[in-house]
Amino acid sequence: MHSLIQLSIVVLLLPLLSFVILIFFNRRLPRRGDFIGVGILGTAFGISAYIFWSVIVQTYDPAFRVAWDFTWIDLGNVPGVGPLEIRMGVVIDNLTSIMLAMVTLISLLVHLYSTGYMAGDKNYGRYFAFLGIFTFSMLGIVLSDNFFSIYIFWELVGLSSYLLIGFFFEKDSAADAQKKAFLANRVGDIGMWLGILILYSQFHTFSFEQIYANLAAGKFALSNGWLTAAGILLFMGCVGKSAQFPLHIWLPDAMEGPTPVSALIHAATMVAAGVYFVARIFVMLTPDALHVIAFIGASTAFMAATIAITQNDIKRVLAYSTVSQLGYMVLGLGVGAYSASLFHLVTHAFFKACLFLGSGAIIHAMHHEQDMRWMGALRKKMPWTFATFTLATLALAGLPLTSGFMSKDAILAGAIGFAEVEGGGIYYLIPVLGFFSAMLTAFYMGRQIWLVFFGESRTHLKPADNHHQAHHAHDSHATHGDAHHGAHEVHEVSWNMRAPLVILAALSVFAVYSPDPLDGAKGWFMKMIPTPATVVGEANPQIGALAAGSVAPQHAGVVRTTEVVPPPVVTEHAAPAAAHGEAKGGHVYSDPRQAEIVHAGHAAHYTAIYISSIMVVLGICMAFVVYVFKIIDPEKTANAIRPLYLFSLNKWYWDEIYEATFIKGSMVLARMLSWFDTNIVDGIVNGVATLVRKFAFANDSFDRHVVDGMVNFTAFTVNTTGAVLRKLQTGKVQTYVVMLMLVLFGYFVFYFTRLIY
Amino acid sequence: MEQLTTIGLNHYLTISAILLGLGLFAVMTRKNAIVVLMGVELILNAANINFLAFSKYNGGMEGVMFALFIIVIAAAEAAIALAIVINIFKIFKSVDVSSIDSMKE
Repeated sequence: MHSLIQLSIVVLLLPLLSFVILIFFNRRLPRRGDFIGVGILGTAFGISAYIFWSVIVQTYDPAFRVAWDFTWIDLGNVPGVGPLEIRMGVVIDNLTSIMLAMVTLISLLVHLYSTGYMAGDKNYGRYFAFLGIFTFSMLGIVLSDNFFSIYIFWELVGLSSYLLIGFFFEKDSAADAQKKAFLANRVGDIGMWLGILILYSQFHTFSFEQIYANLAAGKFALSNGWLTAAGILLFMGCVGKSAQFPLHIWLPDAMEGPTPVSALIHAATMVAAGVYFVARIFVMLTPDALHVIAFIGASTAFMAATIAITQNDIKRVLAYSTVSQLGYMVLGLGVGAYSASLFHLVTHAFFKACLFLGSGAIIHAMHHEQDMRWMGALRKKMPWTFATFTLATLALAGLPLTSGFMSKDAILAGAIGFAEVEGGGIYYLIPVLGFFSAMLTAFYMGRQIWLVFFGESRTHLKPADNHHQAHHAHDSHATHGDAHHGAHEVHEVSWNMRAPLVILAALSVFAVYSPDPLDGAKGWFMKMIPTPATVVGEANPQIGALAAGSVAPQHAGVVRTTEVVPPPVVTEHAAPAAAHGEAKGGHVYSDPRQAEIVHAGHAAHYTAIYISSIMVVLGICMAFVVYVFKIIDPEKTANAIRPLYLFSLNKWYWDEIYEATFIKGSMVLARMLSWFDTNIVDGIVNGVATLVRKFAFANDSFDRHVVDGMVNFTAFTVNTTGAVLRKLQTGKVQTYVVMLMLVLFGYFVFYFTRLIY
Repeated sequence: MEQLTTIGLNHYLTISAILLGLGLFAVMTRKNAIVVLMGVELILNAANINFLAFSKYNGGMEGVMFALFIIVIAAAEAAIALAIVINIFKIFKSVDVSSIDSMKE
């Protein structure tokens, strides 16, 4: 076993240890054991950092991969299924080591932050235990080398998310939100499991590597449609977990959980697990499946961005922003901008965690006031929070010199490239939606910054009844039982909440990832995470034909006619590189489609930069015009376009649509089933009961008349016979002798007559 | 003629049959228990005569041996039977077999 594998298993199990210790012993430990959680996560981060160091910094090999697995359950030859052997294993490649370091770092920072944010909560110890099991499950997803174990950990993160969303379960809204999250995720997970089963039915293995090897060898016996279906079904897992349209509804409600949890689970790691999973299955996605993914990602990004601009709750704005950014990542994977998408995953994890922790600090300082309408002028009172929040906002909006700029730009460039390669038309919708969302992002983040940090303090404007309610919630939260009077005294938060903000903000600067602030592709990240070669599609068997240039690649649904087909084995910039004069050491693509998209993406790099910068600046200008210079009054505008405003404020009415369709539908179905149950099923049961009763009556009379009759008749016969025979027993010896003689005589007569005749 | 002058097996068997008939008659009709016992003795002796007659005309000593045993057993039987009759008399104050029917039913 490779020493890195051993270390990664230690990293995986450490948070589980933290969970076990804290869930059982938190009441017996000083400070409810929070130092154990923080300490263990610190150790885990230390080891992960070492793994990161040795894999990314020392080895620096795009193809680095070590794996180890063992047989977990061997069920032998299952009838109807074939050999069923479930293996568990760990794989470490560049992506894994980056994710390991990212997850443990954010988890550590959230642990540290929570010691301040959650201080005094009555379930303080349990909170850290839940964080522990979440971190364990998330690391499990990251390290898994097969579908089965990734599915197990997938469900475990779902469980941890459920537990943490409903952490304040005394509140009905929290309990409802946790149920909603769990159910929405379940819908996606069913699809994911079906996808896994399609693959399993073909190859009898769960291992990524073996399945891809088999696919590459063309051993998939079913039609390509099935492979597309498998890809889309697996993607459903991501739709649920990463809150993509149409299962995005749970994520904004999940903000009922404690804010550090929102930062860790519902912004940085778990929701990104869906994107990570799609990245893991990227090589087996057919072009059709990728198109579906790209459109879902683009529509999610756009829809969430339009909703975010009208929300008033500080966390909900961030939640919709998260949905929108996850849409970007999914869009990126769908268009084939694999590296860019994962790059965005990591950069987004840091700046969005920073934003959430910052909003947590604001909420903490405002004594659990979450409505931005009643904030304002916090810039002077909370300078650290202001600085880090602003930096992270710039990264989210995608301004140059930030990490978010590079990653978002890479995705959008990929989207343009994709649209060009696919032949334009409807495919240009994807980059257009992407750019438009970028503008909206800049707008709503500008609005948020202004409402929260600038202007006048509007705490006193809050309606009284709301005020009362807020205090009520605050009481049940039991954080600062004695801080009622301080509703207007806002202070900067303590060091253990400030330090994570600073670290995360520092990780949102371009220099961490790339020396060139305008081009993420020049950085270590995109070099270390190259787009893997696909293992599906007609591309593979046609390589020879393509090399001859005689056959145009036909990806199901997209027929390209006269395009110049690049050679099947292309270095990243092979032919076009000379033209562009930006030859870089690249990797080899076996799939011409991918190579084309990557090339077109690179060509569109500067276009993307220009358009997205213009869009971002436009968005920020709009925010300035509306909120700073007050040239346009937001309220009047809202009234002027009231239907649109309400459409956005009410989240495109998705909750209502689901209420009217699925929930009502299941109610109707439930009532139908209930009717069926009471009338048909109960009817059958009652009918059977009646039949049984009838039968029992018949049986009873048979018993009484026939069986008893026979018994009584026997008794009667015996009685009668006995009464006759009794007469013979006189008790007189001589009678018996006479009878004996008669019998003897009778016998003689019988015998002798026989003898004679 | 020879049948009448020479005593053969048939004569013995005839005597034996008459004796058996008399014994049976006594057993079946007499009321006195003692007389019934005497009838039984007659029956036994009828059997004895049969055994001895067959023994004589058939050769061999088996019949003689049987007769001897029967005499001994008859003596024992008489002793036991008389003891029973004495006991019956003690209980019922009578030896009339027709009145002793308490084992009826």
